[in-house]
Amino acid sequence: MNAGGPVLEMRGVRKAFPGVVALDGVDLTLHAGDVHMLLGENGAGKSTLMKILSGAYRKDAGEIRIDGQVVDIGSPRDALALGIRVIYQELNLVPHLSVAENIFLGAMPTRWAGVVDWRSLYERASHVLGDLGLDASTLHARTPVSRLGMAQRQMVEIAKALAASAPTTLFELRRGLAVALRAKADEASARQALKVLVMDEPTSSLTSREVTQLFSLIERLTARGVAIVYITHRLDEVFRIGRRVTVLRDGRHVTTRLLSDVSVPELVRLMANRDLSEHFPKSRAARGPELLRVEHVSRGGALSDISLSLHAGEVLGIAGLVGAGRTELARVIAGADRCDNGRLFVDGGEVRLRGPADAIRRGIGLLPEDRKAQGLVPGLTVARNVALPHGRRLARLGVLTRRCEAALAAPIADELRVKATETQTVRLLSGGNQQKVVLGKWLAGDVRIFIFDEPTRGIDVGAKVEIYNLMNRLTARGAGIIMISSELPELLGMSDRILVMHRGRIQAEIDAAGATEERVLRAALGLERPALSDAAGAGGGEGPGGAEG
Amino acid sequence: MIAARQFGTVIGLAALCLVLWILTPYFLTVSNLLNIAEQTSINAIVAVGMTFVILSGGIDLSVGSIVALSGVVLGTALQGGQPIPVALLLALLVGLASGLVNGALISWGGLPPFIVTLGTMSIARGAALLYTEGRPVSGFDASFRVLATGRVGFIPAPVIAMVLVYLVAHFALTRTTFGRYVYAIGGNEEATRLSGVAIRFHKTMIYGVSGLMSAAAAIILTARLNSAQPIAGMMYELDAIAATVIGGTSLMGGEGSLGGTLVGALIMGVLRNGLNLLGVSSFLQQIVIGGVIVVAVLLDTVLKRKNRT
Repeated sequence: MNAGGPVLEMRGVRKAFPGVVALDGVDLTLHAGDVHMLLGENGAGKSTLMKILSGAYRKDAGEIRIDGQVVDIGSPRDALALGIRVIYQELNLVPHLSVAENIFLGAMPTRWAGVVDWRSLYERASHVLGDLGLDASTLHARTPVSRLGMAQRQMVEIAKALAASAPTTLFELRRGLAVALRAKADEASARQALKVLVMDEPTSSLTSREVTQLFSLIERLTARGVAIVYITHRLDEVFRIGRRVTVLRDGRHVTTRLLSDVSVPELVRLMANRDLSEHFPKSRAARGPELLRVEHVSRGGALSDISLSLHAGEVLGIAGLVGAGRTELARVIAGADRCDNGRLFVDGGEVRLRGPADAIRRGIGLLPEDRKAQGLVPGLTVARNVALPHGRRLARLGVLTRRCEAALAAPIADELRVKATETQTVRLLSGGNQQKVVLGKWLAGDVRIFIFDEPTRGIDVGAKVEIYNLMNRLTARGAGIIMISSELPELLGMSDRILVMHRGRIQAEIDAAGATEERVLRAALGLERPALSDAAGAGGGEGPGGAEG
Repeated sequence: MIAARQFGTVIGLAALCLVLWILTPYFLTVSNLLNIAEQTSINAIVAVGMTFVILSGGIDLSVGSIVALSGVVLGTALQGGQPIPVALLLALLVGLASGLVNGALISWGGLPPFIVTLGTMSIARGAALLYTEGRPVSGFDASFRVLATGRVGFIPAPVIAMVLVYLVAHFALTRTTFGRYVYAIGGNEEATRLSGVAIRFHKTMIYGVSGLMSAAAAIILTARLNSAQPIAGMMYELDAIAATVIGGTSLMGGEGSLGGTLVGALIMGVLRNGLNLLGVSSFLQQIVIGGVIVVAVLLDTVLKRKNRT
């Protein structure tokens, strides 16, 4: 290893997906023994960058060097061979196998003909665990993973990342028949020592004591010279264990600093600040009577004590980071999931939603976050997708005529300017047009309460503007819209009022007129105390119960 | 979309007929063709129910056993002197009820269709055997046989029944809300649920249709054999699945049509008939039919992959 030089350098990395540039000229430099924090809003490009590093995606342009050598990472295999490991937020363990088996999954010590050498397996697993300072009372090699808590599972993942570097010599590899059958090229890529470990939100499901345990583990790793990329939304952790920080915004590299040189407000500003050149065609509608009121709704660990209200003519924005509970809230209001307790009122009357059908009958329509998985039947035509929620109303004695479906869909397709005929299969449409078809399902009915969950995700700019215009027309007609979005400019540009969620709660209610990206982001990161948030509300936009408690 | 896919199977059927016509002139006579249609009718009707189920993303392994159970109920009712309409109604009710039980276990019990229908396959077969003590039931009034031997013009009654069933089922599948939900549930169950469709109710009804179709097939079978046997309908589930799949219905659900299934059932009928005419041993026939199933689906998959990308 070249002493002092960076372990990993990524230079000018670019990655584009159809219709969107996810990364543009991003740099990242890692030094041995560093904990490098990677920060950015949702969609800033953190995950894409890490997927390029781990071989899940191929970069379009740029250069990656390991120990000063230019390398080509074409597959996850290549990344492993270079000593790069990623621990994802949703852990990848086999629950019914033991800790030791999970640690050595894919590289089990064998005798001959692929028979597992159990004694050696457990010995080596205990050795790896011991290396990490974990004694058998904390984590026993023979325990099945299904019996472990989240923190212990995380430890297994770390041990697994480390173990792949444990001395598995070529001689050992050749012994197993199964291994011997593998191609020669494979031997060359025999696993390399752990150099770079990427951890994506590792503390999201840990208690504070477990976090301390995790951090001491991380220190042990850095003491061995491992470089760690740490992705998180929790700023306190950034300063607790990080040494350097890189901030990404909209797929671009903003800055890389030593954490000793920056402050919390500065970091937030770096994450949020952007030129507000994007223009939103927001038109304000007259605020009408209350359409929907949610009181003290809780659901499992995802939502706690949520209260909000939505008026006719209003766009209520909901901000928050991934996992803050926004989608869960949308699904409860749309009747897709039940809440444990709490009450819902539509037009002032209490309603109990036993399923989506009940919500639709009350005039609530959900535009789900994942339109392909939840919004559309891809094999059906445009007209049939639009008519899907209205079958009972359209049919006479259960018989649907082609004419009535087409008659329903045609004006909708006109209004949305879907560039497709009603008889076209939805699968073949572009993302923007598919989204319009999902919208069309609710426009065709008597829906007055629209819940838009990430309505413009993955669609092109032209279609976005059309959706914004449609939102204006809907509010002008007296509908109310709840818009969940991870794009702050859109949220600020189109909402009348913004609720910010943080860990299942409403952290702040902000009037859109007085909102800045920085302020919303501070609340989303949990930095703004709920009690303080009302003070800056510019009046006129407070619903009952929004931010109290 | 559907038309294009059927086109392939229709060409396959035509090519098969052409080859058989060249190899054996007797194949393309009116009496042989009617014979094929009559022999195909039972499988074709069972396959109607199977198509509904597979379109919705499920599977029904119990159809053969339900054929046997409804058959013996029909037989004993006739033997006991019940009027023919009453006996027919009883048989249909038994089939429908068996299917609804399947559907209820799948939708409300949350069990995989494969497991549920595997269980009822055994239960219905056992019930049929228990009910008859394992013996065939026969000795029906001569007028009952008209259902198999009767003709309208020169067309045999079972063929008429098959055509009627297909017309009604095709209408239900393409023109009613029920039919639309069958496709929607198979295409994307979650999106359909979020559209407010009562998934459990409709799924239950889909398996009910399958049970009802099995009972309809049992009526024709019993009339043709002039006896009801508790061991009837063995392997019918596989023939019905084969007809459905050869007809271009995706086992993943959401795509396919009854027209395709009818062609699929005819391909199997023609193949069996042709191989018999050619004097091919029944052992070899099984191999050929199995091969045709695999090749048909392989072609379909390859074509689909080409169209998608």
